[in-house]
Amino acid sequence: MTYKTTMLAALLAATALSGAQAADPIKIGVVTPLSGTYAGIGQQVRWGLDLATKEVNAAGGIMGRQVELIYEDEEANPSVAVQKADKLFQVNKVDFLTGTVNSGSTLAVGQVAERAGKLIATTVSFADSITTDKCSPNVFRVNARAGQQSAALAVWLSKDKPKANVFYLGPDYEMGRSTVAAFKSAAEKVGATSSGEVFAPLDSKDYTQYFGQLRSSRPQVLYTSVAGNDTVRLLTQLQEFGLLNNLTVVGASGTVTAQNLPAIGKAAEGFVTGVGYSAQIDTPENKKFVAAFQAANKADPDLYGADSYGLIYAYKAAVEKAGSTDTDKVRKALEDLKWQTPQGEKTLRAGDHQAIQTMYVVRVSGGKFMTVGQVSGDDAIGPDACSRF
Amino acid sequence: MSTAIEYFQFVLAPQMLIGLVLGVAVILVALGLTIIFGLLDVINMSHGEFYALGAFIALALGSIGLPFWLLVILVPLLMLPVGYIVERGLIQRVFHSSERHVTTLLLTFGLGLVMEDAFRLVFGPNPLKPETPIAGAIDVFGVFLPLYRLFLIVGGAVIVALVALVVYRTRLGAMVRAAAFDRDMAASLGVPVQHVYAGAFAFGVALAGLAGVLLAPIYSVFPTMGRDFILMAFTVVIVGGMGSIAGVVVAGLLLTQVQAISSLYISPVWSDPIVFGIMVIMLMVRPQGLFGRLGHG
Repeated sequence: MTYKTTMLAALLAATALSGAQAADPIKIGVVTPLSGTYAGIGQQVRWGLDLATKEVNAAGGIMGRQVELIYEDEEANPSVAVQKADKLFQVNKVDFLTGTVNSGSTLAVGQVAERAGKLIATTVSFADSITTDKCSPNVFRVNARAGQQSAALAVWLSKDKPKANVFYLGPDYEMGRSTVAAFKSAAEKVGATSSGEVFAPLDSKDYTQYFGQLRSSRPQVLYTSVAGNDTVRLLTQLQEFGLLNNLTVVGASGTVTAQNLPAIGKAAEGFVTGVGYSAQIDTPENKKFVAAFQAANKADPDLYGADSYGLIYAYKAAVEKAGSTDTDKVRKALEDLKWQTPQGEKTLRAGDHQAIQTMYVVRVSGGKFMTVGQVSGDDAIGPDACSRF
Repeated sequence: MSTAIEYFQFVLAPQMLIGLVLGVAVILVALGLTIIFGLLDVINMSHGEFYALGAFIALALGSIGLPFWLLVILVPLLMLPVGYIVERGLIQRVFHSSERHVTTLLLTFGLGLVMEDAFRLVFGPNPLKPETPIAGAIDVFGVFLPLYRLFLIVGGAVIVALVALVVYRTRLGAMVRAAAFDRDMAASLGVPVQHVYAGAFAFGVALAGLAGVLLAPIYSVFPTMGRDFILMAFTVVIVGGMGSIAGVVVAGLLLTQVQAISSLYISPVWSDPIVFGIMVIMLMVRPQGLFGRLGHG
């Protein structure tokens, strides 16, 4: 009896194996941080990719071929990411690659892809440069870039707080200065006035020393792009000094996150930001996605999980349109591709390989992110600034 | 003239008051550091992590419902045995080497790294924040000040006074100072030097824990919080004179005021270089610091 079942199992396994061999799987490499500071983001990327791949495979794969994901840990370090991407292209012979989180890794791996003659897509990196001045014919971005986030926020600002007086507070390094500059120009375009700006060192203990300047410029809106624990200190100290009354705090999408929201507590109430995805989006497609994601991972999807999930469907649509996994054919199929994602239809702009999508404005209310508005993709995308292809 | 008064009231005074709170925070952290250095001649690189340990213990005990005011007393008491065991179990093992400064520095540095990772494993990497125990704020001559910060200024002054009282006015303090001044002579006169050393280390660690409890509601709690004040605290100890309590108070207030006022006129990024610049100049012209060592006149 035992012998028989073992035989049967072996036989079944053998057929399953030969079935897979009949059509080679499509291999997608995933270079993502599975350890270190960004491990939480890498986790969401993995959950999203795994879920979409499971669904695609259950429905017959891409052109009858199963999809196989091969993971490598990049430790959020561009030089490690380059090694791992090289290995995936040369040794594992992957057809496509994704997963990079920090913008430096995405840019570096993009160059590896160019040399290997393969395509990559990021589902996380925000830096505008990836699809503007440092764009690459081999790199696509399916998530919203920083410029789209601040454009969406500025549009909301012009409606909700017309002609507001805005004060800017950013962390004093490249990201902080570029986010403040981007939002300032977007806000001034829609009629806001700027009353002052200050750049605090990263990991500032005490933001109270800037409160005098803040108070004397009497802003209605404070824009900030500090992140992590800096946000905890800034917002709770603002609350402590009674400055949150009559002040709307808006910020970058990484300023208040699920990671630091519990620590900020009540001081985060009313914080507004622009994002490309929110689990609260009220559409049947998104509800179905959130339910499936929760069932698989016992956690809510965030923007990284949702955008990674959507990427598998973009790649599926492109390969089926191209009828091949050949780099040039898939590139052509991805350009101007329209496809369905949990947050609605997205379009990959041919000119710069940036996804155009509806942007959402979310506000913290009762300790949760609630959607308070949306901005159409065309209003948020901005001009094509890529001149390389 | 009236504009000068207005400038003082609305710009300078609030800035100085805010600097005063930061000064008290730095002094609280530096106090334990200077006592450990002054007596044991040990540069405790893990001092920042003991500060974090105090905050984490307070957070854990607070989450099971203990009131904040009890924690202010309880946490330092819990830290005492921790410090005692660390001194007897770890520091004593490398203390008697001829390269004491290097070995103890490396030992405490390693201990700090281990503790930081332990916090991350136990409490997770995300910041946590206890509720501010005193809500509300008052106007001090037209300057807005949250009540908890006012409490910190007063409480900090009381703690410094109590520590000075213990060190300079009690028999225990006399034994500590004697052991610091001449270890062998003190031992021959019947002072239990081993226990005085371990006790002083435990006292310094308990002070770090107390600072952790008091500052957590303002600065939040997270695994790498130990690095926050430690550079500033070391600077204060060096400028004030290693091991001097008065030096810590004077240098702590002085340096934080320099930081607070300078950030009004130049980019705040420069406030750290200014403070460390003062430290470098101090080391060049008066390496012993503003005041002498503990037990030395």
